[in-house]
Amino acid sequence: MRDSISRALLAGIAGVMLLALAAPAAQGQADLVGVAKREGRVVVYGSMESDVFAVIQKIFEGQYGIPVDYFRASSNGVMDRVLTESRAGKPLYDAVLTNRSPMMILKTQGVFGRYVSPSYGSYPSATRDPDDVLSPSYRQVVVSILYNTRLVKAEDAPKSLADLLDPKWKGKIVMPDPNVHTTTAVWLANLESVMGAQYRPFVERLAGQVTLAESFLPVVQKVIVGEFPLGITYVKYVYIFGNEGAPLDYVRLNPVLAEAHHVAISAKAPHPNAARLFVDVFTSRLGLLALAKAGEFVLVPGVYPSIKDAEKLRIVLMDDLSEQELKQFRDQVGSLFLKR
Amino acid sequence: MVLAAIGIGIILAFLALYPTAMLFYGSVSDAPLGVPGHLTLAYYRAAYGDPNTYRMIGNSFVFAAGAAAISLVVAGLLAWITVRTDAPGRALFELVAVVPNVLPPLLTATAWVLLLSPRIGLINVVAQRVGLPPFNVYSMPGMIFVEGLILAPLAYLIVSAALRSMDPSLEEAARVAGSHPLQAARRVTTPMIRPALLAAGLLNFVRALESFDTPSIIAIPARIEVFTTKVAREALTAYPPNHNLAATYAMSLLGIAMVLVYVYRRLTARTERFVTISGRGYRPHAIELGPWQYVASAGAILLLALIVLLPFCVLLLTSLLPFYSVPTWETVRQLTLKHYAFLLTSDRVARALRISTMLAVAGATLGMLLASAVAYLTVRTRVAGRGVLELLTFIPWAFPGTALAIGLLWGYVRLPVPIYATVWILLIAYVTRFLPYGLRAMTSTMVQVHTDLEEASRVCGAGLLHTFRRVLFPLLRPGFMAGWAILATIFMREFSTSLFLYTPRSEPVGPLLYHLWIDGLHGRMAALGVVVSLVSVVLVAGARRASRTQIAD
Repeated sequence: MRDSISRALLAGIAGVMLLALAAPAAQGQADLVGVAKREGRVVVYGSMESDVFAVIQKIFEGQYGIPVDYFRASSNGVMDRVLTESRAGKPLYDAVLTNRSPMMILKTQGVFGRYVSPSYGSYPSATRDPDDVLSPSYRQVVVSILYNTRLVKAEDAPKSLADLLDPKWKGKIVMPDPNVHTTTAVWLANLESVMGAQYRPFVERLAGQVTLAESFLPVVQKVIVGEFPLGITYVKYVYIFGNEGAPLDYVRLNPVLAEAHHVAISAKAPHPNAARLFVDVFTSRLGLLALAKAGEFVLVPGVYPSIKDAEKLRIVLMDDLSEQELKQFRDQVGSLFLKR
Repeated sequence: MVLAAIGIGIILAFLALYPTAMLFYGSVSDAPLGVPGHLTLAYYRAAYGDPNTYRMIGNSFVFAAGAAAISLVVAGLLAWITVRTDAPGRALFELVAVVPNVLPPLLTATAWVLLLSPRIGLINVVAQRVGLPPFNVYSMPGMIFVEGLILAPLAYLIVSAALRSMDPSLEEAARVAGSHPLQAARRVTTPMIRPALLAAGLLNFVRALESFDTPSIIAIPARIEVFTTKVAREALTAYPPNHNLAATYAMSLLGIAMVLVYVYRRLTARTERFVTISGRGYRPHAIELGPWQYVASAGAILLLALIVLLPFCVLLLTSLLPFYSVPTWETVRQLTLKHYAFLLTSDRVARALRISTMLAVAGATLGMLLASAVAYLTVRTRVAGRGVLELLTFIPWAFPGTALAIGLLWGYVRLPVPIYATVWILLIAYVTRFLPYGLRAMTSTMVQVHTDLEEASRVCGAGLLHTFRRVLFPLLRPGFMAGWAILATIFMREFSTSLFLYTPRSEPVGPLLYHLWIDGLHGRMAALGVVVSLVSVVLVAGARRASRTQIAD
């Protein structure tokens, strides 16, 4: 499902446009708040880290006094749960937020209803879903090489992906297994457009250089404890764990790939108005600023997470993989990573 | 009696067969559950048309057999020292031995990676200082070793219960006849507790076959493909997840487990052979080891170091540091209690502890009552179809936790009773999945108690219930409480089934630990792990107190 959104977004992030991300529009707001309060609560399923979500939750609950129940799982777990509940005819969720690829699949399966929040108006039009189902990308998760600063000096760290193939790093790099971790599969598949003809030889040799783990989180943990000096994982961990004293820095890849995240409302939400109100707050300027403060890359010009050089990164959004494309990727590239 | 058998049969059949039928239907339907589809064998063809499947099955069998064997050796030795000898400190050892049962396997496996990783593993760091080659945990031997230690406490609970109810006069006879204590243990004690050893081995073999925790931590980096990693790759992390294929793999595991249960029943068919508690008076009597008692204690401490102390120390250290790193003098200055402070202030933690304690106490009690009834019917009576009862309890346990959860979800979400998304579905799931553990503890104890005591009671005019309460139950209490302790400690931290079935408002400890883990909050997770261990030790100590058999001279 190659689309032009990511290219346009890139242009957007490049910073030509002036965004005026306003607070949720006031029109009809009073009515919505009243009905939402009567619904009593809002149930959100998502793959956002509980601590980051708690930032938004606090804002929302503080503003409207409507409690939020948050079910946190991996992006795959979220997709799985949403599909199962929908098929069984017992959807308990009001809103869902996770990576682009699973959100696209859920959208195709028809589990979401249409909703255009007043706050969407402030996003670049190229990021809007033409079907009015998914929100514009409220955050982007950026993938790069992280390293343990106690084991690797900045000047010795790799400067590019190709540097990972240096024999001195053999067995010293950890990355998620693209056969069990989908975002890694999407990342590897998207490298093809970045690397061109160099792609195939690169992945073939990379497969022999790395040790695999289950997902991005175990990867960064292994880098933090020093089990592996280098790991391929999310850049935001430099902020999240670095804040707590973890010895982490990242390689400024050019470009650096990122996956978009979206939020959408259930077609059969038990608390539809509370869900709308929640999405309004979540995608508002206030919400995005709070996310950026918690280490996230968001779509507000001039607003960056407090990660060194975050403002200098050239971020390219990844294209999502369809079910068929993912299967094909695993047969052709994933299998390289299964060889011992 | 027949009515009781029918009643219990119906309960068991519902618990076991309903989710199984859902899984079976899923494995032969070409559409996801909830969507009307057609019958197909395509998933079986996909699963077994792949030549890699057979290599994977080979790996899985090596892994499961190795892990089960290690667990039996460790548990058997430890149980013998703590229950049958006068080794000093054995009461404490016994309590400590169940602690790892309360640690989620994910935590224990992570701890062992921190101990045995080639570069930073603490044991390897020490080994290299003294000139020994490092042990690579990312290998088949590494995986077998870690899983074997994770499974040892379960085997310990079953084997020690059997040893406790064993009539020691046979051992004494061997001693009188001139056997050394070790000889007596090998030639007399081991054959007598064979049903318990077989049961523990069987349970652990299948448990290892369907475990994903150790493989996800070790097999993925080692690039070894086992059953569960293949299911994860092809079915659960497919886009979108393919529950039908997962159900197909689950059905094969069911087939394997059923064959093993059949073998087990054949091997223990002549139960009379193992009767050791009869109308003759007996008093449990510890073997006097003389000066060897200190060697026995040292051995027990070594075994406990492997299954509890080392991983627990890593956990404790993780809970006291902002971030775990190989300990140095620098580490001492970093020690902090902030993760424990988080536990005290978090409503989510308090709620999870409340829910899980309730599930542990209520679930273990319900589970053991059901297990006792089934054990009685299968061991004590000649009711037709009693073999089927036992088989029924084994069916759900043959599935990986995730697969069973899928079956339960599909099943209970359709019931008109509002049970989905409440704690009740967790209670049902726990009892359904772990009943065999309770049943093993009960059955292996029950086969050792001769019927003459009950018969005496009946002849004296006591009714069935009275006989059960006054005669049978006191004799069976060690088995009952051992089973209760196993179930309570597992329920306290169960996660793989819970993860699919809980909702944010009914979040138990297991999923909470898992979420702290996937959010990278290892310090908080470790702190919660330590607290849950303490809660579980209290539960086990309570169970032990209640299990003391009082037999009048």
